Amino acid sequence: MILANAFCLFFFLEETLRSLASPSSLQGPELHGWRPPVDCVRANELCAAESNCSSRYRTLRQCLAGRDRNTMLANKECQAALEVLQESPLYDCRCKRGMKKELQCLQIYWSIHLGLTEGEEFYEASPYEPVTSRLSDIFRLASIFSGTGADPAVSAKSNHCLDAAKACNLNENCKKLRSSYISICNREICNRRKCHKALRQFFDRVPSEYTYRMLFCSCQDPGCAERRRQTILPSCSYEDKDKPNCLDLRSVCRTDHLCRSRLADFHANCRASYQTLTSCPADNYQACLGSYAGMIGFDMTPNYVDSSLTGIVVSPWCSCRGSGNMEEECEKFLRDFTENPCLLLSLPQEQGLKANSSKELSMCFTELTTNIIPGSNKVIRPNSGSRRARSSATLTAVSFLILKLAL
Amino acid sequence: RRRARARSGTRPCGLRELEVRVSELGLGYTSDETVLFRYCAGACEAAARVYDLGLRRLRQRRRVRKERVRAQPCCRPTAYEDEVSFLDVHSRYHTVHELSARECACV
Repeated sequence: MILANAFCLFFFLEETLRSLASPSSLQGPELHGWRPPVDCVRANELCAAESNCSSRYRTLRQCLAGRDRNTMLANKECQAALEVLQESPLYDCRCKRGMKKELQCLQIYWSIHLGLTEGEEFYEASPYEPVTSRLSDIFRLASIFSGTGADPAVSAKSNHCLDAAKACNLNENCKKLRSSYISICNREICNRRKCHKALRQFFDRVPSEYTYRMLFCSCQDPGCAERRRQTILPSCSYEDKDKPNCLDLRSVCRTDHLCRSRLADFHANCRASYQTLTSCPADNYQACLGSYAGMIGFDMTPNYVDSSLTGIVVSPWCSCRGSGNMEEECEKFLRDFTENPCLLLSLPQEQGLKANSSKELSMCFTELTTNIIPGSNKVIRPNSGSRRARSSATLTAVSFLILKLAL
Repeated sequence: RRRARARSGTRPCGLRELEVRVSELGLGYTSDETVLFRYCAGACEAAARVYDLGLRRLRQRRRVRKERVRAQPCCRPTAYEDEVSFLDVHSRYHTVHELSARECACV
C-alpha cells in the first residue's frame, strides 16, 4: 500500500519537475530569440501607434483578403509587407483562453495566419499561449485521478462525480453558472445555440478546479459514469438527429474563429507525441484536458460516447461515413479523439480495472500492474482498438517508471 | 429548555445555512446531490413597531377576534436565490426556483 502510493507520488513528482522545466523549451522553437508573449489586441495597438507597421498591416490584410496564398506571394508589395510584419509583435502574438476581447484577439490572429497557413492543413498552430501548469494544478489533478489519495477502501465506495457536483453546489459562482446552463439546456425544446453559450460561460468563468473535477471525475459504477456523461446535457448540447461527417463538421468549425482556435489548441496540446514518455506534448496532461474542455459549447463539442466502465471513449458527434476518398483523413481526424493515447491517459484512469482487481491496491498502482503482470490479463478486455491504444500508452508510462526506478 | 430559547432569542434574525441532500427536502426528488440550503432564523423583538403594540392591545381587548393576526414581526426571507439545478438518480435534471433564502428581515 505504502509502496503503491509511493509509485503514484513519484510519478507525479516527476511530472511536476518536467512541467517546471518545460516552459522555456516549449516556447523555444516558436520564437525568434526570446520575446515575452504579447496578446494580439495589445500587439495591434502597438502596431497602430507606428505608421510603418500599421500601413503594412493594412496592406497585408488586403493581400490576404483574397485568401490566395500564391497570388499574394507573387505580389511584391505583399511580400514587402510580410517581411516588415515578421519583425513586428503582431507576427507571433497569441491569445489567452477566456481573456477580455478574446474574439477580437482571435480575429486579429487569424487575419494574418489564415492566409499564411493556407487554411487547409490538417493540424493548425494554436493561437493560444502555451499552458504551463503550476505545482498546485498537478497535485490537484493527481488527487482526482487517484481518488483523493486517501484510504482506498473509503474512496472505492464514494462517487467522485457526485462529490464534484457537491463541491460545485457549495460554491456560489459554480452553482449559479451550473444551474444556468442546466436550466437552459434542459428546456423541453432544446435551443442548442443558447445551451452552447451557457456551457461556454460555465467552462470559461468557473475555475478549473470545479469544472475539471466534474468533467473528468473517476468512476467505479455505471451510475457514476452516467452522471459524468450527463455533465454537459448531451441530449441537447451533443447529440443530433443525424451524425454529420467529421470532415464536414471540421469545415463548419473552421468557419468560426473561436471554434477553429479551440480545435487548433486541442490538436496542439492533445496530439499524441512519440517523443514524450506520457504521449502528451511536453508531458502536460493539464494542457490537454484544458483544451478538451475548451471545445465544449462549440460545433466540435466532444463527450463520453457511453457510460461504460471498461474503456473510456470520447468523440465529437460525427462519423466517417460518406467520406468518399477522404476516408483516411477522416479516420485520422476522428482517432485524435477516440484512440488518442495522450488524451486517454489524461482522462480518468481506473475504470473497469479497479472492479476486477484487488481493492487493497491503490488505483494508480492497479492500472500500472494489471498491464505488466502476466496472468492478470483477465482484467484486460479484448474489445476495442482504443483499449489497445490505451494499454500501449500505459505501457510506455510503465516502462518509464521502471527505468526511473532502475536508476 | 427555556434557557435554550432565551439564548437563541438573543441572536438576531439572519441567514443560516445547512448542507442538505436534495432527497432530504421531501420535495419528491430522488437525488443524492448536496445543496446549500439557506434559511432565515432569529429573534425579531427589537423590530416591533407601534403597529404591533397597538394590535396586541386591541387583541387583548377583543376588538380583533375573528381573524388570525400576528402582532409581532417575523423573521422571513425578503429575497430568494434564483435557481438551483441537480441531477436525480434517473439521470434527469431538475431546476427548482426560490429554494433558498438570500436575504432575511423582520417583517
